[in-house]
Amino acid sequence: MITLLYVKIFIYLENSLDTKRKVVVKIDKFINSFIQTFNGFVGATGMTLKLTIISLIMACFIGLIVALMKLSSNSFLNWLAVIYIGAIRGTPLILQIMWLYFGITHIIVLSAFWAGSIALAIHNGAYIAEIFRGAIQSIDKGQMEAAKSLGMTNSLAMRRIILPQALKRAIPALGNQFIIGLKDSSLVAFIGITEIFNLSMSEAAATFRQLEFYSIAGIYYLVLILIFTFIINKIEKKLDTGRR
Amino acid sequence: MIKIENLHKYFHDFHVLKGVNLEIKRNEVVVLIGPSGSGKSTLLRCMNFLEMKDKGVLLIDDQLIDSDKKKLHKVRENIGMVFQHFNLFPHKTVLENVIEAPVHVKKMKKEDCIKIAHQLLEKVGLADKADVYPDKLSGGQKQRVAIARALAMKPEVMLFDEPTSALDPELVGEVLQVMKELANEGMTMIIVTHEMSFAREVADRVFFLDQGVIIEQGTPNELFDHPKHEKVQQFLRHVL
Repeated sequence: MITLLYVKIFIYLENSLDTKRKVVVKIDKFINSFIQTFNGFVGATGMTLKLTIISLIMACFIGLIVALMKLSSNSFLNWLAVIYIGAIRGTPLILQIMWLYFGITHIIVLSAFWAGSIALAIHNGAYIAEIFRGAIQSIDKGQMEAAKSLGMTNSLAMRRIILPQALKRAIPALGNQFIIGLKDSSLVAFIGITEIFNLSMSEAAATFRQLEFYSIAGIYYLVLILIFTFIINKIEKKLDTGRR
Repeated sequence: MIKIENLHKYFHDFHVLKGVNLEIKRNEVVVLIGPSGSGKSTLLRCMNFLEMKDKGVLLIDDQLIDSDKKKLHKVRENIGMVFQHFNLFPHKTVLENVIEAPVHVKKMKKEDCIKIAHQLLEKVGLADKADVYPDKLSGGQKQRVAIARALAMKPEVMLFDEPTSALDPELVGEVLQVMKELANEGMTMIIVTHEMSFAREVADRVFFLDQGVIIEQGTPNELFDHPKHEKVQQFLRHVL
């Protein structure tokens, strides 16, 4: 279904853009390319997934720690968190990827995969930190007072009472960030990791059939995102995030 | 058991408590009344350090409590508190709410805690609600769970901060009933409330707070029937 829709759209586009040449793209040609590159793209999809999952797990840890730093009463930790979030949100992701892979080679040499994963983790971590901070602050302050009145220390109250409620409340925004993270992983193509976007670039360059291969890449991303969304919705339902 | 001398508290420039002195003996039930904004709740919250005093002396069991933040949670273990808005933990069942602190603060065995919790829930009349989440309870039920939760720590004194103010009128009685039973058992209680007939019934002493100072104190009889201070007379005329 989706494939056909894509094909129709790009036939229309190609015809309207270049009526003189009267390029006619046949559906069977497109399907042929799809099948021929299927193995390659499945491998590339695996890489995209591996990158996304590893970097998002790291990003969640970074996000949680930075959120707690930003909320702590220690002004040094505060300041550190503010600078981190400011620097990451203030510069483009592609710059951060390049900086980690090419920029600091005289300090530490990272493989393309780890440079990409770490860059994605640090980048998403800054946004996730703000998501967690907002969620923690949205918990009624009576919860902390009740926990303290029962003799809990700050950290125990945070762990047992505040965080479980806050994490649940963060899930819708977190899901959104995960989807952004998955798509942003395409930028590591520029440091030579063979993931979906990189493969589509090289196929397109080799065959001069740009429209075809970028459309194919789009299909893979779309399917991945649909699966992601499905899983996130399931988790939201399961945890009943609407309830306090 | 609790002794407060010349307690001052500021919220920024606002001088909330202006030198409060009071002494509360073991097994005594004390009620704090006064117009809104007089500092009743703040005074109560200073007693378990949810608000930090700015000046003055606070003794609990003849021990000077300074503001060493590392020890405060130890002090709070012995002081139960019930809030106006219940503050139950919504992600935990009624039973889990009650056993949370004994298990994780006092490090008691979970089975023992569950046993105690069931007894306490029985006592507040909610034995059948143990496995329910708080959002399925009425306000009166929530507040009774909150009382059970505080009692689970076996505190030596219980603080009540307007425990019935957020309740529908028909649910006030069930909470006051539990509190009366508690008072009869000899629990030391300090209660901020607007329920005057309840105060008259359970209080050993009543303190009247106005603009951050205690302007009159005495037995319920003295204070309600023969108030000396003009402001107290005026206040009682309005609420009674």
